[in-house]
Amino acid sequence: MQWKTDWGLRGRMVFTMFLLFALYIVFVGVLSQFTNLIGIVLVMGLFSLGQFFFSDKMALYSMGANVVDESEAPELHRTVERLSQQADLPKPQIAIADSQVPNAFATGRNQSNATVAVTRGLLNTLDQEELEGVLAHELAHIKNRDVMVMTIASFLSTLAFIVVRWGWLFSGDGENQAPIYVAILVSLVVWVLSFLLIRALSRYREYAADRGGASITGNPSALASALMSIDGRMDRVPDDDLREQAEMNAFFIIPIRSGFIGKIASSHPPTEKRIEKLRELEQQQETA
Amino acid sequence: MGLFDTVRSVLGVNAEADATREADPEDLFGMSTAYMTMEADLGYENAEQAALCFSSVDSTDFGDTVDEVEAILEAGETETGTGFSQHSDDHGYSWVVLSDDDPEDLVTTIHFAADTFIEQGYGSRLLAAVFGFDKSGTDHAYWIYSFRRGAYYPFVPEGDHERDNQAEFKLQSVLDGELGIEADEEYWYPLWPDRPGGHPWE
Repeated sequence: MQWKTDWGLRGRMVFTMFLLFALYIVFVGVLSQFTNLIGIVLVMGLFSLGQFFFSDKMALYSMGANVVDESEAPELHRTVERLSQQADLPKPQIAIADSQVPNAFATGRNQSNATVAVTRGLLNTLDQEELEGVLAHELAHIKNRDVMVMTIASFLSTLAFIVVRWGWLFSGDGENQAPIYVAILVSLVVWVLSFLLIRALSRYREYAADRGGASITGNPSALASALMSIDGRMDRVPDDDLREQAEMNAFFIIPIRSGFIGKIASSHPPTEKRIEKLRELEQQQETA
Repeated sequence: MGLFDTVRSVLGVNAEADATREADPEDLFGMSTAYMTMEADLGYENAEQAALCFSSVDSTDFGDTVDEVEAILEAGETETGTGFSQHSDDHGYSWVVLSDDDPEDLVTTIHFAADTFIEQGYGSRLLAAVFGFDKSGTDHAYWIYSFRRGAYYPFVPEGDHERDNQAEFKLQSVLDGELGIEADEEYWYPLWPDRPGGHPWE
């Protein structure tokens, strides 16, 4: 089972990382002129390191997810076990969040300290094959070390944000250096640009995890169908009476993530595009 | 983490590359002598069954491949006397189950079936080859060959979802050097039978 390599995706990913790297070099160059900011840099460094090491606990806590052992969720454990085996990964911890919104995420600083979390809503919404598709997508994130990649990619961006926010506290005490607003302005530009680049990188890693997940299960359609259910596309096929619909329409809210800005600032690619790419894989698999 | 691995991580293709990596069936022949050692040194006899566990692919071509493997094994049934049956477990995995009182025939037939998958381009879907052993008064014991890791590990289920770790470590220490054994115990994945005392493929 071999699919065509997605050179476009790899190229875009490398190009984005290259731009981010170049931007950070400029940023470090400018920042090194401001010796009075060294304190911020050190504190931020420690903070980021802590965040990296406790990423799993923090993510689970913020989502209200609890780690479940084998007796609490035997089926889920067995499914993850088999998928990890196929993915050539040690079995991660499993957590469940009591939310009805179907969602899943993977966290943890490396492959041996990883946790896959799912919401109750996800378990209720998806059938077994779709669930496997989503879990395999999360295992692909672990396999691709996405937590580490994104932590490294965003460290200096967070630093730039801190300088923008608190840099003014450090004005005035430098002897022969440029005024602090130069540092703040540069940081602002770096922060905005790096934010967009990081979001682009995040979207590319989602596509990569889709491919990885589909190659673990051997079933791209199942993930596509899971994405459709999660996204509520299936729910959009109406089963309500037309007359009731007319009244409901008054309450519809325009999605926030619309237009160009919404597109370049979102961390996940649009579901339609992901589904389209998975369909291509399915097609290659069938016609190979 | 080597350089190659780092580059694959940066590109985000680790998952895909490892999930589609081909299997190497030559290691399976290591079982021939292992059967003898198991009996001579540890008193474990051939349980007269071995099985190949694989995950399917959602495509017609893969279905054809499975059909082909089955046809070949059915034809072999009359020739070598190696019994053959097919099984799908609750986890959506498929099994090719072989039975023969001659370990040599089991090993060559398992290898042959694995090789057919690999030739058709589906080597990456092979999960494990499982060889069963029996010892009077105890549960079954297994040597599992993980195609994903390219290594063997012992599996001795005990009762309901418990493992006899002591027996497993014994098997490991005696067969060490004869079989390529998975060093990282995190990868000693169990293949639980559906009912206690049964085989994983029943």
